Amino acid sequence: MTNDGPGQPTFDNRHSSLPWRLRHYANAVWAENIKEWKLELTYPLDFVRSLIDPVVYLLPYVLYGVALVGGRFSPNLQKLVGTTDIVSFITVGYVFIGFMNMALWAMGFSLRKEQMYGTLEAVFAAPVPRWIFTMGMSMHSILHQFLMILVQLLFILAVFSLKVNPLGLLPALAMIGLMLIALYGIGMIMASTTLIFKQGWLISEALGSILMVVTPIAYPLAVLPVFMQKAALAVPTTYGILAARHFLIGEQMGFSVGTAFMRVAVLCVVWVVFGLVIFAAIDRSTRKSGTLSHY
Amino acid sequence: MSLAATAFVIRAEMAKTIRIYFSYPIIVVFWAIFPVLWVFPFLFQGKALVGSGSSAAFQQLTGSGNYMAFILIGAMVSNFVFSGLWGVGNSLREETYWGTMEYIIASPTHPLVILIGKTLAEAAVTTCIVFLQATIISLMPFGISFTVAKVLPVLLLVVLLMLGFYGFAIAFAGFTLLIKEVHGWVHTLEWVFFLFSPIRYPVQVNIITEFVSKLIPLTWALVAIRGIILLNQRDVGLWRITGILLGMDAVLLVGGYFTFVALERKTRRDGTVGMH
Amino acid sequence: MNEERTPALEVQSVVKNFRRGRGLKKKITRAVDGATLTLPRGELFGLLGPNGAGKTTLVRCIATLLIPDAGTVKVLGHDAFKDSLFCRQRIGLLTSGERTLYWKLSARDNLNFFAALYGLTGKARDKRVDYLIELLGLKEVERDRLERYSSGMKQKVSLARAILHNPDLILLDEPSLGLDPQFARFIRQFIKDELNKKQGKTILLTTHYMDEADELCQRIAFINKGKIVDVKTPEQYKRDIPHTEVLEIRCQGQPDTTPIQALPGVERIASEFKDGVTTLKVVAPRAEAVLSEAIEHLRKGGRILGIDIKQPTLEDVFLYVTGTSLGADTAENKPEAQ
Repeated sequence: MTNDGPGQPTFDNRHSSLPWRLRHYANAVWAENIKEWKLELTYPLDFVRSLIDPVVYLLPYVLYGVALVGGRFSPNLQKLVGTTDIVSFITVGYVFIGFMNMALWAMGFSLRKEQMYGTLEAVFAAPVPRWIFTMGMSMHSILHQFLMILVQLLFILAVFSLKVNPLGLLPALAMIGLMLIALYGIGMIMASTTLIFKQGWLISEALGSILMVVTPIAYPLAVLPVFMQKAALAVPTTYGILAARHFLIGEQMGFSVGTAFMRVAVLCVVWVVFGLVIFAAIDRSTRKSGTLSHY
Repeated sequence: MSLAATAFVIRAEMAKTIRIYFSYPIIVVFWAIFPVLWVFPFLFQGKALVGSGSSAAFQQLTGSGNYMAFILIGAMVSNFVFSGLWGVGNSLREETYWGTMEYIIASPTHPLVILIGKTLAEAAVTTCIVFLQATIISLMPFGISFTVAKVLPVLLLVVLLMLGFYGFAIAFAGFTLLIKEVHGWVHTLEWVFFLFSPIRYPVQVNIITEFVSKLIPLTWALVAIRGIILLNQRDVGLWRITGILLGMDAVLLVGGYFTFVALERKTRRDGTVGMH
Repeated sequence: MNEERTPALEVQSVVKNFRRGRGLKKKITRAVDGATLTLPRGELFGLLGPNGAGKTTLVRCIATLLIPDAGTVKVLGHDAFKDSLFCRQRIGLLTSGERTLYWKLSARDNLNFFAALYGLTGKARDKRVDYLIELLGLKEVERDRLERYSSGMKQKVSLARAILHNPDLILLDEPSLGLDPQFARFIRQFIKDELNKKQGKTILLTTHYMDEADELCQRIAFINKGKIVDVKTPEQYKRDIPHTEVLEIRCQGQPDTTPIQALPGVERIASEFKDGVTTLKVVAPRAEAVLSEAIEHLRKGGRILGIDIKQPTLEDVFLYVTGTSLGADTAENKPEAQ
């Protein structure tokens, strides 16, 4: 920025260089993230509730498993995937499925939220590619999700004493990282569809319901019908959950770690490209139809 | 306001709410089908953990090893209950979003009368939806069948359950006038009910959940309903449970009314009626 | 390209249609119909028209928020559609409506956030935000949440946001709409004295307030039903109907005004009905010539409340040129009301 006087910056030709633009976009993403945190923390009670929610949400699934088996350990699970502790099995699954819900809901409704605030046009008028805003909101969602996971895990550790392999944490996180990139693509698709469909929550709810069934959250892939297993393999969260369970509690995935990473890498590219294309198309469509500011 | 005028307003509010609801028929179809889909993860979890459709541990706790039927009955009854929470609890917040809340408060009609209209509309729509769900479920191979002899006492229990629950929802509606993000709170309430009542699992598996569940009308209703449908029990202590539910209903309805009135008055005093 | 000579804004034959309604009943409304404008650098230009005329739609096309169905928009010689990033860097936008800022954040937090979107960070951002907060008189309330601000204060923050990045072209869509006279006066003075005269900004301002356009703008375009009807200076407009007077009659009820239109000498007529009173404006070379017959007709419909003969204002010029009153809502162009 040139500075012609007290607070007189302007754009000039230097500001179209790639390094400057990348810095600018990174700052915009960070600013969007900070803004969302500031807005969230204006409702402190809701923020606290959102941290406790994941614990309340998780427990019925764990207790259901315990009621089915009459205890903590399942011989049938041991037969299927080589691990017997159902509490660890279910907890790891449900903890990471929070990321899928984040893509569908938190990311998915990010632009709709700006529409509700009334700020979407002001934000879209800024000289930043529009998909940057979904990235900033995704950053906030991801950080929020990690906080929730921390609370969940601390609770389960305290109450059930979770048995996991600490050395598996890093590779599990690496897979989760890849999964998040792919989920960003899905989140972009959801964000753009909620701009044009007033009942966009229906799409998120329907897709979420289907994904909750096909993703092997609290059960191995093998118990699903074959067609559901195939569908599950196109979903990034499948690999995130299977890999996390493999590295942390020793579940046998049915394919190698290398295969899992490769498939998720491909899914990353596919979903992100798909997401960007759909987003660009819908952005253009809303600017054509003039419905950008409609809530 | 006279009784006739009050009845007129209730009818008008019912008509308006139902018209808005059915202006999106796809939503009705969604709610008829997807809540049934939500129980399938439990089926797969059961298959993974016990290897069959029946669990001996479940049998010991509930009298029936058919865990899927247990889950499906819990799903149907909870759908009824939670749609009331969403519909009634959230309804005043929606009026605030639309900008009509201030006009409602400024009218000579008490907001509670409006709520009663919304409650009845919600009950009518939900009954249709749950009927559709029950039809779908009875076609599934999970050993659930409905006969007249079973349906009548179940209906009685559901009516008693909903009476008290609407009292709770009315109190919650008052609470929503103070808070901003209603959806999150409704979800939290749902999950609290999932945890402390036998919707998705037998609460006897943990002493804390078992103790707390006894304070929730949903627990008593569900135990009786499952006894009638699953266990073909003729004597589930129906009159005893009816008495318990009536007592809880009285507390919830009276408490709900006074809570709503107090909270509505507070928003008018604080000047936050139209805010969202 | 000689940058200094390049117009700040060139709008060429822009057309924008909207589809409204459901299913087979969809109707196409032409919100902007072949609009053409050129703004040289440093001009304060007004777009004057009633509600629903197409002003906001045209502004949104220029700001790259809408894609026109035909025509081109160029900002400093760059196509707004093909080179939208360049254009957005150089445009500052103020839209009408209260809900365009984050109410739960303070003025400073809002400006800091938008500063980042416009590439301002660190000390440069702080310096700029401090400067604008001081300039717009927001120092005492900068840390308060916007939900506690009056409409005028919120508009000041919106204005600060529009000029955060020192844009070359500022688009102000109804900047004083809904403000009390004190804030409206401040906003107008700021636009004219600070932004245009002192800083030399090119400004496109839309309004349906005649006196605002008359006071601020060097040139004004009349826009009605999506079409730009004429572009002149305020003085040129008033000179165009030099020998015309405006007869204003207020009467009770809604009398039939067709016979008055047919009177010899009547050039234009417009009526506005509000709160049970009709205000009739009759444009004629000599108002006195039609006065007695007009009153005779109107008395049949109701009581006459007041009569005035005036020299034409810009609002009357608008009526003369377009046949529509500035206070009218044009029903076809509902998108304007969004």
